[in-house]
Amino acid sequence: MTTSTTLPLLLTWLSPAFPTGAYAYSHGLEWAIEARDVTDEATAAAWLADVLAHGAGRTDAILLRHAHRATTADTLAEIAELAAAAQPCAERRLETLAQGTAFALAGKVWGAPLLAAQAGQVAYPVAVGSLAAAHGVAEDDATTGLLHAFAANLVSAAVRLVPLGQTAGLRILAGLAPLITAIAHDTATAGLDDIGGACFRSDIAAMRHETQYTRLFRT
Amino acid sequence: MTAAAATLQRSLGALRIAVKDRDGDTVLDRFRQEGCLKARWPRPERGGWTSAVTLNSAGGVAQGDRLDTAIRAGPGTRLTVASQAAERFYRSPGGDPAHVRTALTVEAGAALEWLPQETILFDGCALDRRLAVDLAPDAWFLGVETLVFGRALMGETLRHAMLSDTIQVRQGGALLLHDAIRLHGPVQDLLDRPAIAAGGHVAATLIYASPDAADRLDALRAALEPWQAGASVMQSLLIARIIANDGACARAAIVAGLATLRGDRPLPRVWSC
Repeated sequence: MTTSTTLPLLLTWLSPAFPTGAYAYSHGLEWAIEARDVTDEATAAAWLADVLAHGAGRTDAILLRHAHRATTADTLAEIAELAAAAQPCAERRLETLAQGTAFALAGKVWGAPLLAAQAGQVAYPVAVGSLAAAHGVAEDDATTGLLHAFAANLVSAAVRLVPLGQTAGLRILAGLAPLITAIAHDTATAGLDDIGGACFRSDIAAMRHETQYTRLFRT
Repeated sequence: MTAAAATLQRSLGALRIAVKDRDGDTVLDRFRQEGCLKARWPRPERGGWTSAVTLNSAGGVAQGDRLDTAIRAGPGTRLTVASQAAERFYRSPGGDPAHVRTALTVEAGAALEWLPQETILFDGCALDRRLAVDLAPDAWFLGVETLVFGRALMGETLRHAMLSDTIQVRQGGALLLHDAIRLHGPVQDLLDRPAIAAGGHVAATLIYASPDAADRLDALRAALEPWQAGASVMQSLLIARIIANDGACARAAIVAGLATLRGDRPLPRVWSC
């Protein structure tokens, strides 16, 4: 249960203003829009639902949960190695490692010994899970928070790129809320063997974005 | 057939292959085949490569089957492994998945090609498959895996299935790739989703690991450009993903991709018969 002392931590760390540079990453959405797979509110909502339920959303939820439970730097390092290796292409690897490493750096203000002990770059959900655990932020809350932040960031990208009106963006986010709750619930008992998905076209979009001619986003 | 009878008919197979270098030729070092898994040895190619062709004499994989393959390419060897035919995964009424485990080890200065033909999934199948590739730092590896979710031209659809298909690649012990495909539930409905396959029936993954991986990216991208596909490089690993509406289309894309990575060496003969 989130207490009145841990809730502000989670709100701070998952705020778009937290210096992870999240606004620069579209998870391949910029290509999906260029390729006319995503053209309006309905197609954006469907694309994001897939990425949450069958792609990085669900996998990151599982990685966060296991990072939250890690009690040694070595266990956390194994999860971090898996998280980095689970990326389907160079830009997706950049997206999670650059944000995770920036998150861990900013998180030093609060301090997280296991995270600070990691040698290389750390994937975003692993960094969030570890910092949350170090400060008593409940695993379930951190998981729901991460899924929401991921969805909100992609909605923001869709609003800028499709483009969509602010109200349409908010409708997408409101519509994804039950899915986010369901994914958080379903991943509570998942093992690390359960990561993975089937967002083939989202993966291909992220690969194709690497050579997209005109682009605003890093991924 | 009752569930109990199906359990009794479960197939087991184990295959162990090791090759070694002998004066520049790749020759058999150890070979053991048990149960339904077998391998045969076509005549060696020119250029020092040796081929093995694997086959499953059970004629398909069903509930509770256990298939276990381990292949080791010793220092300096060159081995191509292909499969005699596409592998079929049939309905598992009890939901007990077939377990397929494959371990490939490529030692110093060795090269291994893992070129099985398609994996064809039938309605109601349950598959838990893991491919573990362990590479020496300077080893060369090329692998492909093709999943056919019901043969569209045969009118087959996958209403429901349980699929976990993982490829892990390690290089010098470090984990380079953990590619986990996971589709549980109403597969056809999921494949119709826009970020999954938008109605496509085939998903293929091509993996190439070599110190020169980054140098091959542009050529592979150019070869795959006409297809619904993408390619990328991470450290010394090249990965491509292909989505297609049918097996023939997927195979054309794969053949185009393989050609850029294998030079002018012909595909294993089993691929064209």
